[in-house]
Amino acid sequence: MKYAFYPGCVSKGGCPELYTSTTAVAQKLGLELVELKEAACTGAGVLNEKNPELADTLNARTFAMAERLGLPIMTICSTCQGVMTQTNHKLQSDKSYLAKVNSNLAGEGFEYKGGTLIKHLLWILVEDMGLEKLKTLVSRPLKGLKVAPFYGCYILRPSSVLGYDEHPARMTYIEQVVSILGGESVDYTGKTKCCGFPILTINERNSVAMVGDHTIEAKSKGADCMVTPCPLCHLNLDGYQPKASAQKGAKIDLPVLHLPQLIGLAMGFEPKALGLQRHIVSARGVIAKVAT
Amino acid sequence: MLQHDVLIIGAGLAGMRAAYEAKKKNVDVAIISKVHPVRSHSAAAQGGINAALGENDSWENHSFDTVKGSDYLGDQDAVETLCREAPADIIELENMGVAFNRREDGKLAQRPFGGAGFARTCFVSDITGQVILHVMYEQLLKMGVQVYEEWFCLSLIVENGVCCGVVAMDMLTGKLEAIRSKAVIMATGGLGRVYHPTTNGLICTGDGMSLAYRAGSPLMDMEFVQFHPTTLKTSGVLITEGARGEGGYLVNAKGERFMGRYAPQRMELAARDVVSRGEQTEIDEGRGVDECILLDLRHLGKELIMQKLGQIRELALDYADIDALKEPIPVRPGMHYQMGGVKTDAQGKAPLPGLFAAGECACVSVHGANRLGGNSLLETVVFGRRAGAGAADYVNDVPATAVSESAVAEEEKRIKSLFAREDRGETAAKLRLEMGTTMKANVGIFRTRENLAKAVDKIKELKERYKGVHIQHKGRVFNTNLLAAIELGFMLDLAEVISTGALARQESRGAHSRMDFPQRDDNNWLKHTLAFCTADGPRLEYRPVTITRWQPERRTY
Amino acid sequence: MQVSFKVRRFDPEAGKPPYYDQYTLDVPDYFTVLDALLQVRDEVDGSLALRCSCRSAICGSCAMHINGHAHLACKSRIQNFASKTGEIVVEPMGNMPVIKDLVVEMKPFWSKVQAVTPWLIPEGPPPQREYVVPNSAMLELAGVMNCIMCGCCVSDCTVLTVDKSFLAPAALAKAYRFVADPRDGVSEERLRELSKRSGIWDCTRCFECVQQCPKNVAPMERILALRAKAMEVGFTNNIGSRHSESIARSVKHSGWLDELRVPIESAGLFNIKALIGYIPVGFRALVKGKVPPIIHRPRPGADSVKRIFEKLEVRK
Repeated sequence: MKYAFYPGCVSKGGCPELYTSTTAVAQKLGLELVELKEAACTGAGVLNEKNPELADTLNARTFAMAERLGLPIMTICSTCQGVMTQTNHKLQSDKSYLAKVNSNLAGEGFEYKGGTLIKHLLWILVEDMGLEKLKTLVSRPLKGLKVAPFYGCYILRPSSVLGYDEHPARMTYIEQVVSILGGESVDYTGKTKCCGFPILTINERNSVAMVGDHTIEAKSKGADCMVTPCPLCHLNLDGYQPKASAQKGAKIDLPVLHLPQLIGLAMGFEPKALGLQRHIVSARGVIAKVAT
Repeated sequence: MLQHDVLIIGAGLAGMRAAYEAKKKNVDVAIISKVHPVRSHSAAAQGGINAALGENDSWENHSFDTVKGSDYLGDQDAVETLCREAPADIIELENMGVAFNRREDGKLAQRPFGGAGFARTCFVSDITGQVILHVMYEQLLKMGVQVYEEWFCLSLIVENGVCCGVVAMDMLTGKLEAIRSKAVIMATGGLGRVYHPTTNGLICTGDGMSLAYRAGSPLMDMEFVQFHPTTLKTSGVLITEGARGEGGYLVNAKGERFMGRYAPQRMELAARDVVSRGEQTEIDEGRGVDECILLDLRHLGKELIMQKLGQIRELALDYADIDALKEPIPVRPGMHYQMGGVKTDAQGKAPLPGLFAAGECACVSVHGANRLGGNSLLETVVFGRRAGAGAADYVNDVPATAVSESAVAEEEKRIKSLFAREDRGETAAKLRLEMGTTMKANVGIFRTRENLAKAVDKIKELKERYKGVHIQHKGRVFNTNLLAAIELGFMLDLAEVISTGALARQESRGAHSRMDFPQRDDNNWLKHTLAFCTADGPRLEYRPVTITRWQPERRTY
Repeated sequence: MQVSFKVRRFDPEAGKPPYYDQYTLDVPDYFTVLDALLQVRDEVDGSLALRCSCRSAICGSCAMHINGHAHLACKSRIQNFASKTGEIVVEPMGNMPVIKDLVVEMKPFWSKVQAVTPWLIPEGPPPQREYVVPNSAMLELAGVMNCIMCGCCVSDCTVLTVDKSFLAPAALAKAYRFVADPRDGVSEERLRELSKRSGIWDCTRCFECVQQCPKNVAPMERILALRAKAMEVGFTNNIGSRHSESIARSVKHSGWLDELRVPIESAGLFNIKALIGYIPVGFRALVKGKVPPIIHRPRPGADSVKRIFEKLEVRK
């Protein structure tokens, strides 16, 4: 299976371990990735508020690149996935708008015909590859590991645009993956809520309060760690957990793993090869639990 | 004791418009409502509001259509007032912020509606009532009008023959309070829940009509109950007349646009009573589809439907699993509106001094025996405004009346005795359903002496049994169990007035269609029915209809 | 079908904490959650308190949590909500104090609506006739005025949960309705107020309000539109606006995000206190090798991105 790989800004910036773990895991999964090196940032939803047509044009440019390769796009970030899916939906359901966007792209040698499929690694695992295949690759089952899924807003909502009408089970994909990997999912209300990252610089107190609420809730339900398909959620839930801990006056210490890191662990990769040492909240406890 | 110059009961469009006007006249005004203002049922008015704004239209045309629609029972002086003042009131609503749809040239767009010779219905897509209601609420916020939100009115206080306040319950605490006021404006809307099913909301229990009636003010023309031609089968939810105004067809099981048989010229856009009878006849004669007929919008195209009838499509999807873009919507006539109400003059003044009324709960009368679509919203703003002004002028001329505290004690006693009743298995819910189905079956579109007599007897029986209704929950905070029982009491009064008036009226006129008296009888029945409350039920009297320039003619569409 | 309703109960007069009651009913397929709750109230338990009226999603009374999210009970068909075991969980809305059972206190909700000066303020006296305005503008307004103030968006607003001062989606969508109205004369003052703390920039763009709105008002989209308008008329001296500008600048110049610059530029280059606040976070990240490249190099293709920016930016 071959995909046009859109790594997003964060896996090339603040979360290099996401890039490393993704490429490592993808190889073992048999996913051939052609990286879209010239693709621009999706705008993370922020560019859209200022200038929607500009943001849509940049994304259409990315879609056109994949279309030229004849490949579906693979994302590894809920936010990239959400922003791109929404743009694609907008372009596909309004032909005159698509034409307008294409006229913006004409000088750059791109034209988007409207046919690119965009899928997060999480969806690819379940829908394209199948969990049975993943199961065969598990060499170090996450036995006894309690994992709290954290989806990230953009991969969930608006559900009608993000394909949940056709794939209602997308609501439970992380849980399904965790279970195939031999772990146990922890259910808690925060799993579909906002991590607070988008307002981190704007209103840090509120943002950090969200981190605190979700990590504390997950922990109280017995989670050993969180896993997220969104590096922005990771940045906040992991990086700002110490601040959240101070704000809430509670010890939290809940490691937050990227999805490919969790998969990699179960596949037997060395924790270091997955960049697990790079987290602000140490993942040592998780590694120890899986090793035994 | 709480006190105001003008106290308005009900915060729908009529009540809020009245408050706005009274406040403008600088009197101390407050509204009391059993729901938050924007929850009022005015929000459910979908299709639009009428005014002769078009270049070739005139208020006289609008008046004639309304008089003809009323089957000549509307008082023509009142109708003229309604139609003459309509344009200014609509412009005022627009200036307040109502986002009426526009024509190409940016002026108000108007759509055709039933029984109207011109396209004179202004609209905000198919959410007209909702938008006007919310804008009117904005104006109340702007003016700082006090609202007793979620207060339930239990009785009117009448001292020495003058209405001078109310006893009400703060629903969140259950505490009773008397509110003294020099004038009370009744604006409580309709009584749809007397019937089952109905397009009306669960709050439409006719409280104000019954309160006024019990306090000695007569109800007028209550036997005229409108059945809307297009309501969804299972839930009774309304599908706007705008759907036909925009060009929708009604077809029967054979695929015929059957309205040609009943209204060869206006077809689907005949007056509502005519269309509902046409539909019911098709269904009764076996040409229906599962007790319904079909409303077909498909030929209107996706763009028009999405832009102007979006909510309708949504409602049909949600409540009937029908996508109006792809298939016709099964509909049937459903109880929708009460043409009658608290008798008032054109200033909203009721015969009981100190009492005013406006909107659906009032009867001026502009709708007579059948209301035209788009005239009910209009009535709320024109006569809401007039009642507000009328009450404000009135309170400047009268001294405040002393109110004794005993009124509260009496209501407290009534509630205690309700709570004290033993459980004999009689619940308000059970009686309400029996009342509703009785009214639907016997006081519906087509009526006979036999059925009406049956209804009168049944309602009498239910009133007797009502004395044994048991209240399961005895708490004071938000006790809807208690309130439902009190509302049922109001509705039984009204069911009795409706069926008694209908039994007495031996003719067919507008929405009152007697199989045993199929003709309109102007010699004997060109008159209003007045119902007065007595210990033995309603006492009926009759009053002449005011005719200014349109003599009754044969009514065809 | 047989459905079991698990309903959260609370009676302030009973002196005991909230609890759940279970009601099992046999109901027709077309039933809504409201139909079922009314059946419970009529036939099983008269003490159950809820608000409801129109049954057709227009009065906005019956918003409540159904299976954990805010919905209008009258718009929620049972067949879409019953779990495999036929259970539906019904609770009061979130972010609002409970008065009794499913009835919540909405006073804070209304006070926020009131806070956005929710009435039209035209410039000068009204015309003798209607305002002459384009139909498209009125249709746009009708889309927002579709809001029935049910509270679903506010119930599930993730910011409100951590910050009671946030104006929240319903009031902000209402504010948009006036800002977008060509008849309103004080849009700029409105935007100035909305750009302050607790206003448009505090939304975290989580889409909960878009998801839960039963009337397709998409409050968050209205908030984003307000942000764009606020920046357009020049209310850019605030952290939210600088954040947005900074991200745009970064993508324009390199094709991707400069994660180091964005927070610094957003706080403002002279906002010493905020910048010092970043130090511990930055230090922890540095130790773990989690810092983005100090020198932010342009991506391949950055020139192309820049040209697109230049083409589409000038129009404003």
